[in-house]
Formats: sequence, structure tokens, C-alpha cells
Amino acid sequence: MASSEEAVLLLRLAGPIQSWGDRSSFNRRDTRPEPTKSGVIGLLAAASGRAREDSITDLAELRLGIRVDQPGTLLRDYHTASDYRGRPLPQAGVSKKGVQKPTSPPKDTYVTTRFYLQDAVFLAGVAGPRPLLETLDHAVRHPSFPLALGRRSCVPTQPISRGLRDGSLGDVLAAEPWLASEHARAVHEREHRTTLGSWISLSATLEDPEHGDDILNDVPRSFDPHHRAFASRRIRHTWLKVPTGLADAGNAADTTADAGHDPFALLGW
Amino acid sequence: MTYLSRIRINPLRKASQKLLANPRALRGAVVGGIAQDPTEERILWRLDADNPRRPLLYVLSRSRPDWTHLVEQAGWPGADGEHAGVRDYGPLLAQIATGREFAFRLTANPVQNTANPDKPTQEQQERVANGTTKRSFRIGHRTVTAQLAWLLDRTVRWGFEIPESRMSTPAPGIAPLNDPHHGGEPAREVRIIARKRHSFTKKRNARPVVLHTATFEGHLRITDPQVFTDHLLKGFGPAKAYGCGLLTLAPLPRHLLHEGGH
Repeated sequence: MASSEEAVLLLRLAGPIQSWGDRSSFNRRDTRPEPTKSGVIGLLAAASGRAREDSITDLAELRLGIRVDQPGTLLRDYHTASDYRGRPLPQAGVSKKGVQKPTSPPKDTYVTTRFYLQDAVFLAGVAGPRPLLETLDHAVRHPSFPLALGRRSCVPTQPISRGLRDGSLGDVLAAEPWLASEHARAVHEREHRTTLGSWISLSATLEDPEHGDDILNDVPRSFDPHHRAFASRRIRHTWLKVPTGLADAGNAADTTADAGHDPFALLGW
Repeated sequence: MTYLSRIRINPLRKASQKLLANPRALRGAVVGGIAQDPTEERILWRLDADNPRRPLLYVLSRSRPDWTHLVEQAGWPGADGEHAGVRDYGPLLAQIATGREFAFRLTANPVQNTANPDKPTQEQQERVANGTTKRSFRIGHRTVTAQLAWLLDRTVRWGFEIPESRMSTPAPGIAPLNDPHHGGEPAREVRIIARKRHSFTKKRNARPVVLHTATFEGHLRITDPQVFTDHLLKGFGPAKAYGCGLLTLAPLPRHLLHEGGH
């Protein structure tokens, strides 16, 4: 693989709610604190118009890096489901004919618990061959199927794609300015009791096949409902020094030992 | 020419412990840094101990000073960084104009002069009884209220004003704390960040000199550039020899800059 053909596609994953489940398949639907690879690849596959049965091996080979710009908060949703025809719900056991038996006594409502991330913003970097990423970039801007952030109810805000960049995954994610909203910046300043400088430290999870020291089981082999399977990938957690996009005007006073009042700040001009 | 100096003081040195404890000793060290006629010019200085482990000494002088002796006796002579920064004050004086706003800090000695103190001491009573008073008594303000009132009384005379503090409107039915319509004074953008009582002797077995100082920090708007510049160079209030009266200006914090136009 020639390194000159490598590129990184940057995606801004933000919306009112997101949900990135990786293991739950029953009544309790969890979310990971960060987007999963299966979720991001599912979004790219939906954008490029692939059916569930189509191959996604080329997408699964892409390397994924996630930067947490706004961690968001956890939302727990008390959720009920019933049969729209008013019939009792079926039970798990099946009859001799292979049909699910009705519940007895009849049960009309399931209670499920679903978890979401609200008000979170992530920057995802997808590294791989440039020609493939160019088609994906176009696909995300002109999607074939509606896009979602981990679950169909989680609608993303636009624009999703921030275009292609050259360089390594970590460097590209560190170079992109902080994507937090004005409100999130104010909250950050209040909680940390500081004024924002020209850079901020953000946590990130980078896929690193050689030096990764942690493993996640979220690489999809196929989205075919009858052949769902997942593989693992090696990842590494790190902190990135990210520009906030703020000018250095207020920083001269902030960095001196005499943090409160710096008479020399006016004399340097 | 006027120069502003900033000298790092190492509080662990034997010499600096005396300097930090006694304004008179520190004045001696400051005057020792001026080469020509140190008693002729008005040297202003202030000790900023925001971080008590890294106090900073600011000095405003007409001639270019040399702080080698202070660094050797009370600094870190072998350390990295700027031991004593000396900057030309011209760029700041050039910025002084009507309406300009700055953050400021001032350590001052708020006093009142009165011929009839409310609670005269024994000695004052005797002097009043004997009729030997030539001038009124100078009494230091010792409460925050009185010290703040002292500053706010004088700002017009000194060529600046302190803007009203920006407060969000109170909820319906709740009266603001200092409502001008109810006879209160509006709150101003100033606060006292440090107050101190100094007591030291000039001669052995003499009566001590007692000073009550207050360090004000806030936000000012220049109304009369000429008067303000004069006071900036000559000092504000009494006890200038003992580290009072040096008002320094700094850029406004960023969150105030955004709303500076209002």
C-alpha cells in the first residue's frame, strides 16, 4: 500500500442524541461513550447505497480514530413496545411448527431501556486509500439512504463530512479545530474555572494495529441480518492538543506567574 | 523617560525575609537600585504576593534602574528566566486617552484627616487638651467599606471613573441589593483583594509607624488623561515611600472586552 495514496476522511458526528451500542441485543440497549466502528461503517455503507447483504470488507479495512470534542451526557429512555394490532405479544418458545407461542397469561407490553448520548460532538477520522475515501466523501454529501448516528432515531446535524486530509490519523485529528458550541465552551470555562487558551486537550481513541494496547470487538464482518458477525481491532487511547480557534490576545496575561494582573502586558507593544 | 521594573523575590533567602516583612527595609533596597539622585525623584513601588511563594516587586522610576543587588541578595542569581524585567513606560503612557478602559491594581493607604476623632486615643486627648495640635490627625481607614468609599470618593479627582458593575436583572419581585432608586449606591467594578496592617519602627525604641493598606483591583475608564497621567507617575494617596500609591494598568480580561462597547 503506497503511503502517498493514504488519506483521512473527517466526519463530524453530532446531533441531539446518538447511540452507539456494541453488545446489547435484548431489552436493555446500551451505548458506548464513543462512536463504534460498526456504527461509522454502517453510516458510510448507507451513504454509498449498499444493501445489508452487500460486502463491506473494503470498509472494514479502513482505520478509525475518534476525537471527543463534547462528551455529552447519558440519557436513559424508558421505552415500551406493543403489537399495533392489539394482540398479545409472543413468547420466546416456539411450537412444533416453528411458530412463536403466545404469552400466557397474555402480555401486551414490553418494557425496554434504551440509552443515548445527548449533546455530544465527535470528530471521526477514517484513514485508508484515497480513491475509496473520495467516493465515500461524495457519498456522505449525497447519501442514498438516510444517515443515522448509531440508531435510526438519532438524526445527525449537517454538515457531516469535513473533507479529506493528508497525514497520519493522530496528526489530522489534532490539527482540526475544536468543534464545541459556544455554549459548551462557556460551560467548560465555568466548570474548569479558567479562561480558554489557544489550545485544549481532548481525549481520543485511535485504531493502531501495531502498537494498540486495548481491543474493541466492533469491526463488522457483514450487516446481513442472517450473518451478523464482528471481529476485533487494536486501539490506543491518547490525548490530543487541539487548537480552540481563539486568538492569543488574552493569553499573555494568563501564562505569566502573576496570573491575575500583568502590567507588562501593555508594555510589550 | 519612565521605567517599570518587575523583580522576582525568592522568599526563602535570609535577606528577602526581612525585605518582605518590613516596608522600610524594602524601600531601602528599592532606592538602592536608582543610580542618580534617588532621593530627588518619586520612586513608586509595590509588592504583589498573589502567590506568596513567588512574590513580585514592581517599581516605577524616572531613571533606568539596576536590580543586580536585589537579585543577588533576594533572588535566584543562577536561575533561568528574567530576574528583573525593566521596560520603558512610554508605550503605556501613549495609550492613555479619554474613554480608554483598563484593568487596574492599586495598593493604597486610605486615610482620613480629622481634627476631632470619634474615639481619640489617650495621646490624642492630651494633645487636644493642651492645644498643641498644629494639624489634624491622620487616621487610617480600617474597614472594607471605609477603604472602598475612600477610593470611590477620589476617582474623579484622579482623572478616572470606575464603571458600575454589570449585574443581571433580578427576578421579578426581588429588589436589587443596591438599588439607586431606593437610595443605595450602585455597585462598582472594584474589589479589595488584600488588606494589611504594617507596623515597623524607624529608630530603635521609637514609636512604630503603623500603616493600614488595601489592595484594590478592578476596572477603570479614563476621564481626564492629563490628570490621570500626572497621578500615574506621582502616585495615588499617602505612604508612597512604603509601597503604596503605584497604580498599574493591564489589558481587560477577555470576557469584559466583548462587552466593552456598551
